[in-house]
Amino acid sequence: MIDEFAAIEGRSQGYWKLLAGMGVLLLLGAAAFIYIEVNGHGVTGMNNTVVWGLPHVFAISLLVMASGSLNLGSMSTIFAVKHFKQFGRFSAFLSIVLLAGGLTVLTLDLGRPDRMLLIMLHMNFRSMFTWNVFLYSGFTVLCFLYLWSMFQFPQYTKAAGSAAFMWRFILTTGTGSIFGVIHAREVFHSAITAPTFVAISLTSGTALSILLLLASFRLTARELDLRLVHALRNALIFFLLLVLYLLVVEKFTKFYSPAFYAVETWILSGSFAWLYWGGVVVLGILAPLGVLFNAKWGNQVGGIAFSSGMVVLGLFCFVGFVLIAGQSYPLDMFPGYEVSSVFQDGLEGSYAPTLVELLLGLGGIGVSGLLYLLGIRFFRLLPRKAVVPQGWDVAWRP
Amino acid sequence: MLRLSSLVRFVLTILPIVAGLLWVNPVDLWAHDGQGGHAGALRLELPEGKECVKSAEWMRRNHMDFLKHNRDQAVREGIRVKTDSLKNCTTCHTSREKFCDRCHTYTGVAPNCFECHHYPK
Amino acid sequence: MTMATLERRAVLGLAGALAAGVTLAPGMTLLAAPAERTEASAGRRWAMLIDTTQCAANCTACTTACRKENNVPLFGEPSRDIHWIRKVEIRDKDQRRPTVSLPVLCNHCENPPCVHVCPTEASFIRKDGIVLVDEHRCIGCRYCIIACPYKARSLVYHETKRGAESNPDVPIRSKGVVEKCTFCVHRLDNGQEPACVEACKGEGKGAMLFGDLNDPRSEIAKRVHTVATKTMRPDLGLKPRIYYQGL
Repeated sequence: MIDEFAAIEGRSQGYWKLLAGMGVLLLLGAAAFIYIEVNGHGVTGMNNTVVWGLPHVFAISLLVMASGSLNLGSMSTIFAVKHFKQFGRFSAFLSIVLLAGGLTVLTLDLGRPDRMLLIMLHMNFRSMFTWNVFLYSGFTVLCFLYLWSMFQFPQYTKAAGSAAFMWRFILTTGTGSIFGVIHAREVFHSAITAPTFVAISLTSGTALSILLLLASFRLTARELDLRLVHALRNALIFFLLLVLYLLVVEKFTKFYSPAFYAVETWILSGSFAWLYWGGVVVLGILAPLGVLFNAKWGNQVGGIAFSSGMVVLGLFCFVGFVLIAGQSYPLDMFPGYEVSSVFQDGLEGSYAPTLVELLLGLGGIGVSGLLYLLGIRFFRLLPRKAVVPQGWDVAWRP
Repeated sequence: MLRLSSLVRFVLTILPIVAGLLWVNPVDLWAHDGQGGHAGALRLELPEGKECVKSAEWMRRNHMDFLKHNRDQAVREGIRVKTDSLKNCTTCHTSREKFCDRCHTYTGVAPNCFECHHYPK
Repeated sequence: MTMATLERRAVLGLAGALAAGVTLAPGMTLLAAPAERTEASAGRRWAMLIDTTQCAANCTACTTACRKENNVPLFGEPSRDIHWIRKVEIRDKDQRRPTVSLPVLCNHCENPPCVHVCPTEASFIRKDGIVLVDEHRCIGCRYCIIACPYKARSLVYHETKRGAESNPDVPIRSKGVVEKCTFCVHRLDNGQEPACVEACKGEGKGAMLFGDLNDPRSEIAKRVHTVATKTMRPDLGLKPRIYYQGL
């Protein structure tokens, strides 16, 4: 067992450059945080219609990917795909670092981050946010136990892995429910919002894992069996179809009811339609599926990596669409009436993100990246070589 | 096997980063404005009035808890006691600068009540 | 006070602090003179009735009075200005009814979604039904703004300063926390009506009627029980306490 895993050497110039790059992102994020904290949210593009902006898009995307990254581990521990066992450590560790990055951005974007700990003193158990505090911390603990068991107590791996697997579903349901439960917002108020978040965490987490595995193995000159990548491709295709299915069901249900005509027409043809069609549907689902189903590209590392990249970007577009479009759609305060006021009632919200917000969001990626790079150097997270036995192959290929 | 030494090295690497980020805490940097500290004896302008709502001895030690308790009661329960309000302090302690601020600066505490609440200079 | 006394107090240390803690904890404020004490009553339900037929399109007396009373600033950025109360013009989409101008403010719902989603209990319902933000406790997460269907809440985007014209009885707006209408709770506890209601009466219109719904003899209870009224988005089940007449 011990021989199978090895920490990376981490002495090469490339490693230090990557580390420095992530460090710079982290520092820029910290500077952006201080700038916003001192000057107030007036320096961001947010306003009283769109109160959650780019930092939330980054934070929630990272949190969604965190739960999705546990896929590889779950596949071996729960679904007994034993060839993925060698990615179990990587998977659980990636979950923790992505969660750390996402939560950092989420908490630093508060209006009064200095009062952050109040949430521990006074808890409102009816709030989705309070639930999420427990979901995130519980998930971190479970991932750590899972990771630890994989290192030292293999007899507990099944139990810890199962608990973490169950928790990740509840966690992402909680993240999606932050939006799904809000009755006032027609764009995302739906029972299917949370399941869609779960499905999109499966796609984006798998896609990010593919990208990171390919990069890590290539840069450390370790061997990664192409058939393993093909197996992940098949999983990714399945998850992408799941997301597509949920989106179609949602649109079908909403368009069946005349009460939703106005909002659904706005989603599909309004001012954020470009993000919906271009980002969520094409970039996030259809284009990757097209590449992965292609007999030539779908079997090549380049094609799979490219579509994985599109899926991850698609996740950012999805979260961005839910957040920004969801808030921009005017509230229907007096049904049957057109409203107007000095407070921009009845108008679509406008939001133009500023550089500081982008830097704060990228800071979260810096946190996750830095922790990942340090982690694979200090711990035996990655296998020396990822191989499958002779004669084994994936069940299906395009 | 998860080696304790690798865990320790990992934590030791992250710790300086976190500590560094906490060190440049803007709230602290801005709070003191570079003045204050223990320079010379503390001179407060004591009020002309008679006795405080509690004994002066007690107030010196507990006025912050007293005010905070009253604050929470007033905001959340609507319990407003005229004598115990911040506004009532101003009847005797007429100057914030010569009383509250001097001691707060001297002891290096930065309560933010007056960022929003009115108190005569 | 000299340094010597300060030091002596520091040395007295734990014993003194413990003794003070005992006297501090139980019902401290109850010791004060009872006549000088007011408390929110659980038996009350403050509510407002707005007669839209009496509300003139160009009149902004209520909003102006609110800004003045509660130190609500205007930043000059329409998307970021804070509005505790605002005049909204509503036009029938089918053009069968005339255009109406009416004030919209926090509805102080019986089931307020903002309170449900607040992670720190900074938003809460006071015993007399008023929905308030404890600005000392708000962490500025803005989830309540997402949850409110009436756009009644605003985040304070910029630092505000106290000026000569500021109302000394009310704090100025704190940067980074969420703000909204308080029904002028400081005035209510002092036996006065909210500033907007008073200003509306001052205009001679009397479009706004304020009072205790639970008191059957009150004018508002009588009117709400006899006149046809509407609330905003009753379908959401929030049970707002701002009633509109003449819609």
